Amino acid sequence: MKKPITSSLPISGLTKACLLVILSCSLGTVMAQDTTANHSVVKKTSYVKNTFDGNFIIDNQTVMVPVKGTFEFDIQHRFGTVNNGFTDLFGIFSGATMKLGFSYTPVNNLQLGFDATNENMQVDWNLKFALLKQTKDGSTPVSITYFGNLAMDTRKKDSTNLFVNVSDRLSYFSQIIIARKFSDKFSLQISPSVSAFNNPAGYLNVYGTQMPQWTGAHFSISASGRYKISDGSSLIANYDQPLSQQPGGNTPRPNISFGIEFRTSGHDFEIFFGNYSSLLQQNNNLYNINDVAKGQFLIGFNISRLWNF
Amino acid sequence: MKRKIMLATSIIAVSIMSFAFTGIPQTKPWPVPDKDAKMANPVKADKESISGGKALWSLHCASCHGKTGVGDGSKAAQLKTQPQDLTTKAMQSQSDGSLFYKISEGREDMPSFKKKIPDPDDIWSVVNYMRTLKK
Repeated sequence: MKKPITSSLPISGLTKACLLVILSCSLGTVMAQDTTANHSVVKKTSYVKNTFDGNFIIDNQTVMVPVKGTFEFDIQHRFGTVNNGFTDLFGIFSGATMKLGFSYTPVNNLQLGFDATNENMQVDWNLKFALLKQTKDGSTPVSITYFGNLAMDTRKKDSTNLFVNVSDRLSYFSQIIIARKFSDKFSLQISPSVSAFNNPAGYLNVYGTQMPQWTGAHFSISASGRYKISDGSSLIANYDQPLSQQPGGNTPRPNISFGIEFRTSGHDFEIFFGNYSSLLQQNNNLYNINDVAKGQFLIGFNISRLWNF
Repeated sequence: MKRKIMLATSIIAVSIMSFAFTGIPQTKPWPVPDKDAKMANPVKADKESISGGKALWSLHCASCHGKTGVGDGSKAAQLKTQPQDLTTKAMQSQSDGSLFYKISEGREDMPSFKKKIPDPDDIWSVVNYMRTLKK
């Protein structure tokens, strides 16, 4: 049943071309910054601040890395879909996916984190690193941050799961976040990503042949935007598009989410509607079955508490 | 007997009043080291600085000091010390360096902001914005 993650990806030529262009542009900008580093010695570089208000924008990480010494505690909930109406109070009483997250920024531009979610009792270790920051003079037009995690399914071994080795429990997520603050009010980011599972589920067909339900690795892209409506509140939105095709009609559904964000000195609070029900990006990117066309939206919230040490 | 009752009543009344008055928060002097008070503001009070300072004020300061700086923020009533009215002539007569020092270091209910606002230029922008609060 085990499928190596190096299996060939059913990804279209157009998708490959898009990813190549995005990665080439970002690498080009990184290299351009290196070559001009000597000039910044003379004049103090002034970076654009607060491209987004916090670490999260609904289901995605933002380009932001908190200042050195920041400890953050996150509580995230995704309720059931709203389709049942008052029967389960629009999904709020139908059970929730929850995640508790802890992160710390030990040095400037690097954040390390640990999360635990009730979905398959998964835990993850994550890293966020700011590679490039948008400058006020426009010499660097975008900010670029890398985010990656390693997640582990910690459920007990039983007949419902297929864990032979510890490595079968592992999944990975890697993302490059490219963002630009266009004005004090409006910011936008584009984030291509790859999700990989060591042991995605499969099945035996009528001939007894092992068939994959999902490939081990999956490409996606997301676009997220913020529009500030006051100093402490913003309208936020995400669109997530799966790029890889999965076998047997298992291609995940895209996600549209939108909501409102409130920021205070030590808190960040977001409440929103969206299609994604998981709290680990790789789970959403590969397994989302909530369909925009069928109105399968759900209510969710993110709360972050920040301390500065 | 009547005299004794009156005397006892007076003593109790005076005691209650003295306790009542000691309960009113008194603003303690906040000395600023001379070199900090004399520090020049390196950030020009232009539109960008004041706008940035206003955003930081709304995020970090307004909940106690109020939107307009008169000390009527939503958390003000829970504080041990009533935030002072920053719009008055007396408060505004402080040097930029003194305001910078007080924001950076904090005292009692007022937290230190040098970690929350790590770029000193941003604190100077808050000072620039505070000047616009003057009545």
